[in-house]
Amino acid sequence: MSQSHSHAHHTDSYSLEASRFNAGRNVMVFAALLSVAASVAGYLSDPNRFFESYLIAFTFTAAIGLGAFFFVQVQYLTGSAWSVGMRRVMENVMTTLPVGLILFLPLLGGLDHLYPWMNRTLMASNKVLAAKSSYLEKDFFIERSVVYFVLWTIWALMIYRNSIKQDTERSAERMHSISRWSAPGLFMAVVVGSLASFDWLMSLMPGWYSTIFGLYYLSNGALGFIAVVTLVLLSFRKNGILAHTVQEEHYHDLGKWLFALTCFYAYIATSQYILIWYADLPEETIFYRMRSVGSWLPFSLSLPVLRFFFPFFTLLCRPMKRKFTIIGFIAAWSLLMVYMDLYWLVMPNFHAEGPAFHWLDLATLGTTVSITGLAFWGRFQKNKIVPVGDLRLEQSLHFENV
Amino acid sequence: MADQQVSRDQALEALKEKLGVGRDKTYAAMGAFTTPEELVEAGKKIYGMGYRKLDAMSPFPVHGIDDAIGIPRSKLGWMVVCFALAGLFTAQALMYYVGVINYPLVIGGKPLFDFTFTIPVTFELTVLFSGISCTLGIFAFNGLPQLYHPSMKYKISHRASDDRFILVVEADDPKFDVQKTTADLKSLGAQEVEVVVG
Repeated sequence: MSQSHSHAHHTDSYSLEASRFNAGRNVMVFAALLSVAASVAGYLSDPNRFFESYLIAFTFTAAIGLGAFFFVQVQYLTGSAWSVGMRRVMENVMTTLPVGLILFLPLLGGLDHLYPWMNRTLMASNKVLAAKSSYLEKDFFIERSVVYFVLWTIWALMIYRNSIKQDTERSAERMHSISRWSAPGLFMAVVVGSLASFDWLMSLMPGWYSTIFGLYYLSNGALGFIAVVTLVLLSFRKNGILAHTVQEEHYHDLGKWLFALTCFYAYIATSQYILIWYADLPEETIFYRMRSVGSWLPFSLSLPVLRFFFPFFTLLCRPMKRKFTIIGFIAAWSLLMVYMDLYWLVMPNFHAEGPAFHWLDLATLGTTVSITGLAFWGRFQKNKIVPVGDLRLEQSLHFENV
Repeated sequence: MADQQVSRDQALEALKEKLGVGRDKTYAAMGAFTTPEELVEAGKKIYGMGYRKLDAMSPFPVHGIDDAIGIPRSKLGWMVVCFALAGLFTAQALMYYVGVINYPLVIGGKPLFDFTFTIPVTFELTVLFSGISCTLGIFAFNGLPQLYHPSMKYKISHRASDDRFILVVEADDPKFDVQKTTADLKSLGAQEVEVVVG
């Protein structure tokens, strides 16, 4: 409750100026046009590679939307005050989930190439696969994904609509109503999210299974989401937007989340590895076998170092979590690592000899990120960029770490 | 009320006698505020007047008071990190000694020592060492257990666990002066200002 806090926050504008909104939108529209054109060209010249890259790009943005979905609901359920000033940004990321359904559609053209279970003779060839063949089946696969997105959309938009109404209502009843949606919503995020990850990524190897795989994917999404929020807020700050609403103390908490989710990822990844290593069953170890041949080995070995040890020790000390440059760098780094991790999950299935980066990786990523980004950015046009009606906003502005 | 005060003082004297503590020297000038905001505000001002040996007592953690009265961040974290690393190396050394040197036994075709299966034990011992050192460190750094403290002689010190926010200017502060410091505290709006001897 220092003086600078109590006097300065009145100067923040809680709406985005039209000129800034348009500038952001134009950049994203330009990026979308460019990357969609490049992706289409890539699809025409090398469809297989296009679908491989596109799957990574699609699961990347879907994971971030899921991370937001989970996180926003946790904020409501715990009644968090620290995050209120930045919660509208989080909610806007959450509302990109419905766009995932549109981004899912191009994958339908590549199911034959991506998923071995599309091959019915293969699925009938052994007992394990035969048992899964009624689940891993084209129509059911598509139906499931549609159901996932419909469920997420209903929940995300219900919460968002209530949050917007709260801007003018300022009612405790509205707040409780969002919490009531959020509790079953966590189920939608974690359980349905796990099922989605089984479908989209784990079924790339229909014979392989790992029960923790859903959390592995969602931990990537949660980390990616916090990284996105941090980067958006830092770029806002650079342009003088919300500079007094989201301050050092709030970035400190975002830094803690980057740190915690880095640890969480490591915990999940290690658990998965140890169990498979210990049981030593061929149908399970094949996953790591594929990732320890050719130039995949150095890639796999560098993941724990670059994804865990480096950000872990960088963020360990308190002062590091309070420096904008460090937080910004680690956020960007985390996003890169989340992408690399998804790359590591997908690509060994198609390129056994080692990672081979392709310009289509960039083009497809540009496509999903810019389209998702437009859905995110569009929310800033009409609505306030801070939940001004939230009863905890004042508390959030004065928040300090003990 | 006055009787209560007298019996409290007597009880404190008896406690001092029994424990053999207390120097019967001037400990500090103490004053009470009714809100945390007032405490932080007064803390900043008294720090601005040049006092450095300051302390604060409150029923709950008051945000910003550490910065206001110039209390440095705790060194506890550094101690804990040292013990965490000690736990890490202990676990690795233990598993290597047991598995490779003392009683080599091949189980399930696994190597005698591998970082993979030592991770859980290493993690647990790191956490255990951190947790225990942190708990003991909190006691040690705070000088606990402490059955008597001179500030208990302050007549409303018990309200620091209820509804008062108490600012303390210790007597070993170079700027400390009974008259002047009392007046300073009063000028900042402190109530029940008192020079405590204990």
